[in-house]
Amino acid sequence: MDATTFAAALDLALGREKAAVAFYRELSAMASFAAQKSTLAEFMAMEEGHVAMISGMKAKGSVALSPTVAVDLGLAARMDAEERPTAGMTFQDILVAAIKKEERSGVLYERLAEAASQPGLKSVFERLVAEESRHKRYFEDLYESEISKDN
Amino acid sequence: MDIKDFIAPFAVWKRAFEKPFTVKKPIDERPGAPRYRGFHMNDADACVGCGTCEAICMNNAIDLVPAAGREAKDGDSGLRPRIDYGRCCWCALCVDICPSGSLSMSNEYVWIDRDPDVFRYVPGVEAKPWDGSALGYRRAEGYRLLDEDRVPMPELGHAEAVASFLELVRGYSRAQAEKEADRCVSCGLCIASCPAHMDIPGYIKAVRDGDMDEGLRLLYETNPFPEACGRVCTHRCEEACSIGSGGDPVAIRWLKRYIADQVELSDYAKALPRGAAPSGKKVAIVGAGPGGLSAAYYLSMQGHAVTVFEAEEAAGGMLRYGIPEYRLPYPALDKDIGYIESLGVSISRGVSIGKDIELSKLRTDFDAVYLSTGLPVAYGLEVPGEDHPRVLDGVAVLARATRGEELGLGGRVAVIGGGNVAMDAARTALRHGATVDILYRRREEDMPADADEVREAKAEGARLVEKAIPLEVRDAPDAAGEAALFIWNEATMVQKEPGKRPVPEPIPGAVREGRYDSIIAAIGQGPDLSFIAESDGVPVKRFRPVVDSFGMATRAAGGAPVFAGGDLVNDRKDAISAIADGHRAAIGIDRLLYGKGA
Repeated sequence: MDATTFAAALDLALGREKAAVAFYRELSAMASFAAQKSTLAEFMAMEEGHVAMISGMKAKGSVALSPTVAVDLGLAARMDAEERPTAGMTFQDILVAAIKKEERSGVLYERLAEAASQPGLKSVFERLVAEESRHKRYFEDLYESEISKDN
Repeated sequence: MDIKDFIAPFAVWKRAFEKPFTVKKPIDERPGAPRYRGFHMNDADACVGCGTCEAICMNNAIDLVPAAGREAKDGDSGLRPRIDYGRCCWCALCVDICPSGSLSMSNEYVWIDRDPDVFRYVPGVEAKPWDGSALGYRRAEGYRLLDEDRVPMPELGHAEAVASFLELVRGYSRAQAEKEADRCVSCGLCIASCPAHMDIPGYIKAVRDGDMDEGLRLLYETNPFPEACGRVCTHRCEEACSIGSGGDPVAIRWLKRYIADQVELSDYAKALPRGAAPSGKKVAIVGAGPGGLSAAYYLSMQGHAVTVFEAEEAAGGMLRYGIPEYRLPYPALDKDIGYIESLGVSISRGVSIGKDIELSKLRTDFDAVYLSTGLPVAYGLEVPGEDHPRVLDGVAVLARATRGEELGLGGRVAVIGGGNVAMDAARTALRHGATVDILYRRREEDMPADADEVREAKAEGARLVEKAIPLEVRDAPDAAGEAALFIWNEATMVQKEPGKRPVPEPIPGAVREGRYDSIIAAIGQGPDLSFIAESDGVPVKRFRPVVDSFGMATRAAGGAPVFAGGDLVNDRKDAISAIADGHRAAIGIDRLLYGKGA
C-alpha cells in the first residue's frame, strides 16, 4: 500500500473503484437472467461514475469530497461475510455483495488514514472513508427498504 | 272620563325629542348564555372533512370547501365545512353528529357588517374573534347521535382457536350486519384509501337495505375476491373511516364478507353482469393469485379468452399458500375462484413459466400477457449459520401446511420477523402444538404486520421478543442437526437521524441465545424473475418490472405486449392492491386490444 503522496493516494482509490467496476462486470457475466443484469449494470454505472470523479480530482490536484460520514446502520457488520454470488443470485445476494464491498473499501481507507503521517494525506483518506460510508449507506438503505422489510 | 285620559296623549311629547334606545346604545354588551348556540368553531386539525355536518344540515347551510394549506390524504378529504349564516338556524345538529367531535359553537352571536355576503366562513380556517371560546355549545359528554362502538364479531376463544384450524371469525348475523351498517355515514373517505376504490358506502347501504344482489354487484365492480377480501383484506378503508375518528371504525371488511357469504355461488350469475360477446382475442396471465385472477375476471368480462398459467397445483397464490385456513378457509377462496372459472377463464395448473413454457412462446401465442407472479423467493437471515437444517423459510412452511404435509417443527419454534408471514407462521406453529417465540429487530409498534395479527398471535400464546438483532445460528449441543441455537443481541432504539425511523443499536454484551427445534425465517420475500430473458424486452429495475400507469411493461416488436402488476410491481404487497393492479391492467390490455392505446 504505497500511498505516501497525494497522487499515489488517489491512484489507490482509482484502483479500488476500477476493481469495483470489474467486480460487477464479473458478476454480470455470471448472471443468468435480465433482472440480475440490469441491477448489476446500474451498480456498475455508479462505480464508473466514481472512477470518473476520482480521475477528475486527480487531474485537478484537489479532493472535492464531503468529509461528512454517513450514519452507520450497522447492517454490514452483522452480515455473513461470505459472498456467494452464483448464477441464481437474488437481489439480496447482490446487495449484500455490494454492502460488503463498500465496507471493505471503507476499512482500507480508515487504516491508511491512521497510518498517514502527512495531515494533507490523512485528510484525503478520511474523505475517502466518508465517501465509502455514503456508498455503503446507499446500499444499506436499499437493503432495508427492499429486502428486510419484515424485520 | 278620567283626568288621565286627557293628560296621557301629552305625556308622549316628552319622548318626542329623545333618540331611540337602539340608536343610543346600538351594541350594548349582552353576552349569550353560557351554552348559547352562537357562531361555529372547528378544530381543523381534528376535523377529517367527512361532510357529515353538511349531510345532516336541513337548511343546506354547510358546504365542504377546500381549505388553504390542507391536502387530501388517507382519512382526510382536505375539505372543511363552510357555514352560511344566511341559512343556519343554529340547531347544532352538525355539532351533535360530527364523528370526530371537532365542531362546536361559541356563545357569540353578534357580527355586524354592511356587506351581507360576508356572513359565511370556514371555522377553524378563517380566524374569528370567538375562536377558542370556552363558552358556547358542546356535545354533552357521552351523548352521541352516532354509535361509536362496533358490533362485536363473534370469534372462537383463543384456547379453542389454537386447538384446531377452524375459522377464527364466525361472521355477522343479519341483525348484527344491519346494525353495523347503520353506523356508516356514507362520507366516502374510505373509497379513496382503498387501492381498488371499491364503492364501500354503496355496498354498506345494500346491507342496510337487505339487497344482497345489489351488494354483490357493487363488490364485483372492482373486486372479484369478496370472500377472500372479506376475511383477510388489510382494510386500509377502516383506517380512513370517519367514524373511527371518534370511535370504532365501521367494520367494512366484515360487511363485505357478510354480503358474499349470503349469496350462494349458484346464484352469483343472477346477481352479476354478463360478459361481453367474444372478442376473438387471447390473453395469457402468469400467476393465479389474486392479481392474476382479477385481471382474468375483468378481461373475461370484456369478452377476451383468458388462460392463466399457475406453477402450483391449486390456484389462489399467496391467498392459498401464504394465508392459513383459520383466517381464510379454502372453501371461501374456492368460491371466488370458482366464479371466475365459471366465466370460461382457463387455469392451467402445475405449469411453470420459464421451465414448462417460455415467456417468448406466450408472447407469440397470445395477444397480450400479464405477469402477476408475486414474491415467492424467501430472503435469508444473512447471518452466519443461516444454512442450518433447522432454519426454515416461513413462506415454505405455510405452503406445506396448505398442502397438508407434516411440518415437523418440533416443540420449540422461533419465528424471525415482524410481518404478516411471520405472524401466520407463528400461529400455524402454535396450532401444531409448539411453543413459539417471535423475535423482531425493532419494537412492536414498528412491526409491519397487521396490529390484529400481532395481538392475536400474542393472545394465542406466542411470546414476542422485541429489539432482538439476529447474530448467528449454531448447532445445538448434542442435537446433531435436530435443533439449533439462535443467538441474538438485545438492542436499544436510537434516533440516529432526525426525521428518520429509529435504528436498533446492539447493547454491548447483551447477547442472548435460545435453543429451538425450528427457526422460521420470515424477514421478507422477493420476486423470481428468472423466466424473463433480456430478449423479452421487459424493462426491469432493481428486480421489478418497470410499468406505466396501466401496468404495461413493453409493447416491443417480436411478440405480444407484456403487462405486470401485483406484489411484483407495487410497494403495498397486499391482496387488494394486487386485485386493483389486475383490474387496471385489464383495462389497459382491453384498450390496447381494441386499438384505443393503453
